[in-house]
Amino acid sequence: MLPLAEASAVTRDGGPEITIAFDAPHAGVTARLGCVSDVVCDLLRVESPSPAEWYEVKARLGTMRSYAFDHEAMAASALTTAGAGLASNGANLPAVLAARQRNAPAEFARLEAELVRLLPEFTGILLKEDYGGRVSLALRIGSSEAPVTADNLSQGVFYLLGILVLSFDPAPPAVVCIEEIDRGIHPRMLREVRDALYRLSYPVSFGETRAPVQVIATTHSPYMLDQFRDHPEEVVITQKLRHEARFERLSDRVDLPELLREGTLGDMWFSGVLGGVPEER
Amino acid sequence: MKVALLSESPADEAVLHVLVDAILGAPAQITPAGFRARGWPNVLQVLPAVIRHLHFNTDVDTLVVTCDSDDSPVHTHAHEAPQYYHPHCRMCQLRAVFRQTSKRFPIAHGRLKVQRVVGVAVPALEAWLLCGRDNDVSEEAWINGQQTGRLPYTRAELKFRIYQTERPSLPHEIECALRETERHRRDLRRLEYDFPGFAALMKDLKSPPQH
Repeated sequence: MLPLAEASAVTRDGGPEITIAFDAPHAGVTARLGCVSDVVCDLLRVESPSPAEWYEVKARLGTMRSYAFDHEAMAASALTTAGAGLASNGANLPAVLAARQRNAPAEFARLEAELVRLLPEFTGILLKEDYGGRVSLALRIGSSEAPVTADNLSQGVFYLLGILVLSFDPAPPAVVCIEEIDRGIHPRMLREVRDALYRLSYPVSFGETRAPVQVIATTHSPYMLDQFRDHPEEVVITQKLRHEARFERLSDRVDLPELLREGTLGDMWFSGVLGGVPEER
Repeated sequence: MKVALLSESPADEAVLHVLVDAILGAPAQITPAGFRARGWPNVLQVLPAVIRHLHFNTDVDTLVVTCDSDDSPVHTHAHEAPQYYHPHCRMCQLRAVFRQTSKRFPIAHGRLKVQRVVGVAVPALEAWLLCGRDNDVSEEAWINGQQTGRLPYTRAELKFRIYQTERPSLPHEIECALRETERHRRDLRRLEYDFPGFAALMKDLKSPPQH
C-alpha cells in the first residue's frame, strides 16, 4: 500500500475527492481519497462499521496488482522459484507458467488451450528448466520438432500470454490494473482480449466459480473502445486539462445513443466529441 | 460459386456461411478471412473499397453483406418502388453503395460486376437466430413496436435469450449462433417469411450473376 497522509497534513479544504464504495459483504465500508494540497492527493478517510471490517477490506486491497508488460523482460529466462505471482512487468512469466503447470495442471491446460485457439499456428507451451535453476519459455509450432524460442516470439504473443496468465489465474488478485491492454495485438483480436478481461470480471458468464475481479485497464485504441459499445458504463474517459484530470463515465453521456448512430464509439472518441484528447498548442 | 462475406463479427460470419450454403443448396466457395466492418456506419465506409477490391483484384463472383438495423427505419415493400430511396434505411443505403460504386466498372475477370447480396437483420442478427424458437420475435413485431413506441424487446434482451449472458465469450457466441442456425439450415421458409430482410438476401443470392 502507498504511504498515506494524515488529516493533520491538510493545507487546503475542499478540492477533488474520489469516493470508493465496495460490494457485499463490505457494502458498509466507504473510503474517500482527497487532497492535502494542490498537487498531493493521498488523504484517505475511511468509514467502516468496525475496524475489523476495514482491515479485511484493506487486506483484500493489498492483493491489488498493476501490470505494464515488457516483452523483453518476459522473453528472458526466470528463476524457477520466482513463480508465485506474475511480476508487474511480466519478467517472471516462464516461472509463473511452470508453477501453474506444476501446481494447477488443469488451469494450465485451459490456458494453453486458449492460447492455441487464439494463435492457431502454435500447438503448445514448452517450459524448459536448466541446471542453473532457471526456466525458459518456447512455443511449439505445428508438428515441428524445433519450437519457437522466446527470443523469436513477437511482442504481441508475450502481451497475450501475460493477459491469459491473469485471466486463467485460479486465485487472482481482488483488483488487476493493466496498462495499454491492446498493445501489440491485432485489432481483430481485441474482442478476445476484452473477453479475457470479462473472464476475470464476470466469472459466472465464463463458467468460473471464483469471486469477480475488478479490472482497470487503459487503452488509447479506438478499436478497443469499439468493443464496449454495448456496455458504455464500463468505459471512463479521462480528460487531462493541464494539471487536472477529469473522469467521465461514458454512460453518463445522454446523447450517446444518438452519437453511435453517426459513427463507432472509437471514431467518436477520436473525433474529440467524447473528450479525452490531448491538449494542442 | 466464389463468395466473399462482409459482416460485423466472426459470429455473424459463421452464421452467414451456413445460411449461404443452405440457400445455394450446396457448399459455396467462401473466401477465407472474411471482410469485417466495425458496426454501422463503418459498413458503409468500407463497402466501396471492398467492392472495388473484389472486382479488380479477385475472381470472386458474389459479395454477401449483412448488418443489423438497430434503431433505423426498416426496409419495407414501399422502398422497393423504382427510383425510391430511403436515406435512413440501411438496405436502401447498402444497395445504393453497390450501385454507385460499380456502375462504371469495366469488365474484369470475365464478369461485369460482383453480384450484390444484401441482408439486414431487424433489429439484430440474434432475431434471425431466435426465429422459429421464439414466436414473439419477427420483423413485423419490431415494426409494430417502432410505430407504437413500445418495442417488443431490446437488442440486449435478444442477445441474452440466445447466449444466457450479457457478455458471451466469442467461442460461446459462435457455438450458440450455429446451434440456432442449424434449425434454419434444414428449412429456411420460416426465416424467409418472418424476416423480409433475410428474404431479400435470399432473393439476391438466387438471382443470376451479371456476366
